[in-house]
Amino acid sequence: MADLYPSLAQCAIVATAFKVLLFPAYKSTDFEVHRNWLAITHSLPIQEWYYEKSSEWTLDYPPFFAVFEWLMSQAAAYVDPAMLVVKNIGYDSWQTVYFQRATVILTELVLVYALSRFVKSVPLPNKQAAHVASLSILLSPGLLIIDHIHFQYNGFMYGILVLSIVLARKQSTLLYSGILFAVLLCMKHIYLYLALAYFVYLLRTYCLSLKSVFRPRFGNIFKLGFCVVGVFAVAFGPFAQWGQLLQLKDRLFPFSRGLCHAYWAPNIWAMYSFADRVLIFGKWCLPLTAHTTYELLTISVVAPRLGLPVNTDALNSVTRGLVGDTSFAVLPEVTKEHTFILTFLFQLVPLIKVWFNPGCWDTFVGALTLCGYASFLFGWHVHEKAILLIIIPFSLIALKDRRYFSAFRPLAVAGHVSLFPLLFTAAEFPLKTIYTVLWLVLFLFVFDRIAPVPERPRIFLFDRLSLLYLTVSIPLVIYCSLGHQLIFGWDRLEFLPLMFMSSYCALGVVGSWVGFMVVYFTA
Amino acid sequence: MAPPTPSSHRPRKKRKVAISPGSNNNLILDLGEGKQSPAFPLVSFLWAARAGVSQWLILPLVLMAVGLFRWAVSLWGYSGFQVPPMHGDFEAQRHWMEITTHLPLAKWYIYDLQYWGLDYPPLTAYHSWLLGKIGSTFDPTWFALDASRGFEDPHLKVYMRATVVVSEYFVFIPAVVNFLRRYTRMQGVHAWSASIALVAVLLQPANILIDHGHFQYNTVMLGLVVASLDAILAGRMLWACIFFVGALGFKQMALYYAPVMFAYLLGVCTFPRINIPRLVSIALITLATFALLLAPLMVGASNLEARKAFASSPVPPLLQALPIQMDKNSVTYGLLFQLMQIIHRVFPFARGLFEDKVANAWCAVHTFYKLTRFEATLLQRASLGATLASIIVPCAIIFRHPRASLLLPALSAVSWGFFLFSFQVHEKSVLLPLLPMTLLLAGNGGLSKETRAWVGWANMLGSWTMYPLLKRDELRVPYIVMTLLWAYVLGLPPTSFETYRSRPSPEDSSTHFEPSTLTTLLHFGFYLAMIAWHIVEAFVAPPPGKPDLWVVLNALIGAGGFGIAYLWCTWKLYTQCRQISRQATEEESQKKKQ
Repeated sequence: MADLYPSLAQCAIVATAFKVLLFPAYKSTDFEVHRNWLAITHSLPIQEWYYEKSSEWTLDYPPFFAVFEWLMSQAAAYVDPAMLVVKNIGYDSWQTVYFQRATVILTELVLVYALSRFVKSVPLPNKQAAHVASLSILLSPGLLIIDHIHFQYNGFMYGILVLSIVLARKQSTLLYSGILFAVLLCMKHIYLYLALAYFVYLLRTYCLSLKSVFRPRFGNIFKLGFCVVGVFAVAFGPFAQWGQLLQLKDRLFPFSRGLCHAYWAPNIWAMYSFADRVLIFGKWCLPLTAHTTYELLTISVVAPRLGLPVNTDALNSVTRGLVGDTSFAVLPEVTKEHTFILTFLFQLVPLIKVWFNPGCWDTFVGALTLCGYASFLFGWHVHEKAILLIIIPFSLIALKDRRYFSAFRPLAVAGHVSLFPLLFTAAEFPLKTIYTVLWLVLFLFVFDRIAPVPERPRIFLFDRLSLLYLTVSIPLVIYCSLGHQLIFGWDRLEFLPLMFMSSYCALGVVGSWVGFMVVYFTA
Repeated sequence: MAPPTPSSHRPRKKRKVAISPGSNNNLILDLGEGKQSPAFPLVSFLWAARAGVSQWLILPLVLMAVGLFRWAVSLWGYSGFQVPPMHGDFEAQRHWMEITTHLPLAKWYIYDLQYWGLDYPPLTAYHSWLLGKIGSTFDPTWFALDASRGFEDPHLKVYMRATVVVSEYFVFIPAVVNFLRRYTRMQGVHAWSASIALVAVLLQPANILIDHGHFQYNTVMLGLVVASLDAILAGRMLWACIFFVGALGFKQMALYYAPVMFAYLLGVCTFPRINIPRLVSIALITLATFALLLAPLMVGASNLEARKAFASSPVPPLLQALPIQMDKNSVTYGLLFQLMQIIHRVFPFARGLFEDKVANAWCAVHTFYKLTRFEATLLQRASLGATLASIIVPCAIIFRHPRASLLLPALSAVSWGFFLFSFQVHEKSVLLPLLPMTLLLAGNGGLSKETRAWVGWANMLGSWTMYPLLKRDELRVPYIVMTLLWAYVLGLPPTSFETYRSRPSPEDSSTHFEPSTLTTLLHFGFYLAMIAWHIVEAFVAPPPGKPDLWVVLNALIGAGGFGIAYLWCTWKLYTQCRQISRQATEEESQKKKQ
């Protein structure tokens, strides 16, 4: 009998104590975003929810999330009614802070419940690994940084996602899994990135006979179709009735944003941008060896005068830290269509395996992870926070055997380190670094001990590279957080550490993606 | 965390002492059918480590985890935030960094004494100087002379908070880690129990709340005391003297421990036979350390400029009291002035019997029988007499039986005596008796229900008596979180009653390790009183004319509890001493038989 200590509840209690202590920590504009949504949903009729724009942080989540905000606002009215006034932009009394922070902690209980269901659903020999994996998700530095400091409700939503994944395990609960995922989509549309995997899995495993593709199960098709359409009808029906669907579309999918987010999420496009910078450097500046780095980067001023065809706007655009169009100076531009096609293609590839392995839950979770990878790596305007879309499904299967774990390891490092720039204040620096290092040391050590030996032999070169990769992270983080300022001062070349960081992390994420693809298709 | 799979792990070598993890400490509950479960949540968190995981892994993880809690507490308010004109302890410490970095040594103890004049011993002054120098490289405006008074920049707060954490990790943490390692080995306690005790000691709520919340550097002084104890365990008496003088030189409060250290060192030189060279070398090294500590300040006081500065400031009363007349321009005068001024600043005898409402005997008596009717000198004598009476028994025991293993209960008993009866006690001084008492957790049977119940209860009560202070600093939430967390991880009320429940245990020796009915009733009474007090304090306004009623009530209950804690520590000392001498006589008689 495996000892499951410390239990999920014990960890949740101690983690809660820590999270309560973080109440006065730095909070991003997302805090004000959610306060504003509380105010909008509480004080305006539903017809105006998606039209209100007193604040620049307009409601841009799907209707169920708005309803969730409305529910919370009922309690908020007893705490501090002033936070529910739409005109009180930037309001943050201590009652507001305590209330909003407390709702994040309380709604995270959904995740605790989902994880306990996950541990229960696993057969006895693998229970211990499942327990460790769920502890790693519960204590994830990603959730701590994004939810409890930066401020969002990811713990709650990933709780729903995990619950839905767990329900997908058994044929008898597949329907509920589908419904839950539909509800999740109506709360936050980022999960559309995973929708294709759900669609294929449910179609093959629930709607068609497991034995033959040509034997549809009409009862199941009807049940699932009715429920999913019902969920969407409840969410969007009223707005369709009022003729607001186009407005909703504009709010939910603001395509005016650029390819890369202000700070580049560590994906293919970050590497592409980095390559672009290097090429600028190489094409025009390398012969002038006497120049210092600083002078080299002022080339944007010099080059045009010499008649060189440099896209000057492009040279500085990525360094500015504003949400806007990114353009490239040397490499060809990337359009939305390119990113869509690439994302779609790389999502389709793993789904082939799901189609040919009906009812295989591990394959499904692997496909979910790979869909997360594809959309994170190739998507348009990806946020660094979306890394959780990969890490959390992957954690559920990372302990399947050592090959899975060795693909997970660089992701765990790169994914969490890439979140560091979210918190840039001095007081939070020790929190994010020490917590992440603690988590990495603890869980990578424990994972390493309990991950079973795989049936097939592994390629061992991969391990060496990943060890090298882990080691590089230490000097890099030190350079980016301290060294750079000591060498260049506070305001010179401030984009340089961010660029190094995202390129480094992109390398890790891409590396782990390639590694996992190999594992997934050879397993 | 999970234990390793049995097949993958094989211990490298067998341990010398064959003791099962959790022996003597009842850490593992046997549920029957081969099922085992941890006795309280802290055991559960370290469950995976019981199979002998390397200390090189456990220790960094523990230090990171407790460090995170410290830093999280430090995000909250500090003493004197936005309370002009004097602010609080944070401003005092910052101000000392300001004056020590900008003024010559001669002026440190005489500069503008009305505004947080330096009144801690020299080591604090040097510490402030170092931190001020380092801080000035980040931003000189933080410590600009006079101009920076009451400065409250968020970056300054981060820097100051970081200095507390770094000082603690340089002094207190290594001292505690080393001490526990040596102490547990001496007591035959398993390394796993030692790790559990380490986490418990490092999560002591009172220390964290005062140092990282309220803002002080107590852990540096406490760390030096623990380093001194560690040196005693290692048999390095001279190092023990040096560390202890360091503690005294950092904060005069370490005097609470001084009688025990004195009695112990004297005892070591007297029993079993008188050892004069050892006594002389201890005396010499102590004096030399004091001299070294004062040397920079004395050198600073020996020049002409220093004498000019002294001439324009009031003569310290101790110097006035000296019967000799001196030339005010001589070097000797300058040195004496500096020395007397430091003593005068560090020991403020002119202040009252107690400050504010503190949970000690005088404040308790004063509530019912006003002590202000007596003369100050009489009160001082009464205080001295009562303190001496309370410490004489523990000191006598430790003098007659100078055993290292008796030091912890002796130190706790004596410092409780000081806290209860001495002069000029602050509510924060409760940290001093709590430290050695909490270190008892690492001893043989230290994590058993009985000791855990008493130590946990004393810590809860100690934090509780500081609540009025913490409330002023806007530290209510950290207070609630840290005390409940401590209670939770150690399985104490109000989160769990398991400690007081008696269970059939597979180890038959455990019966006397469980709290007696009397203990249970006593503790429950106090826990109930604390909870009831919090409810009353939060929801009921004190009656008109008695605005301090709740605070006085807090101090009264606290004083009662601390009195009981004093008695328990003294009793513990007595029983342990009896046990040791009985064992010694048994061993001797066996030898004779052979």
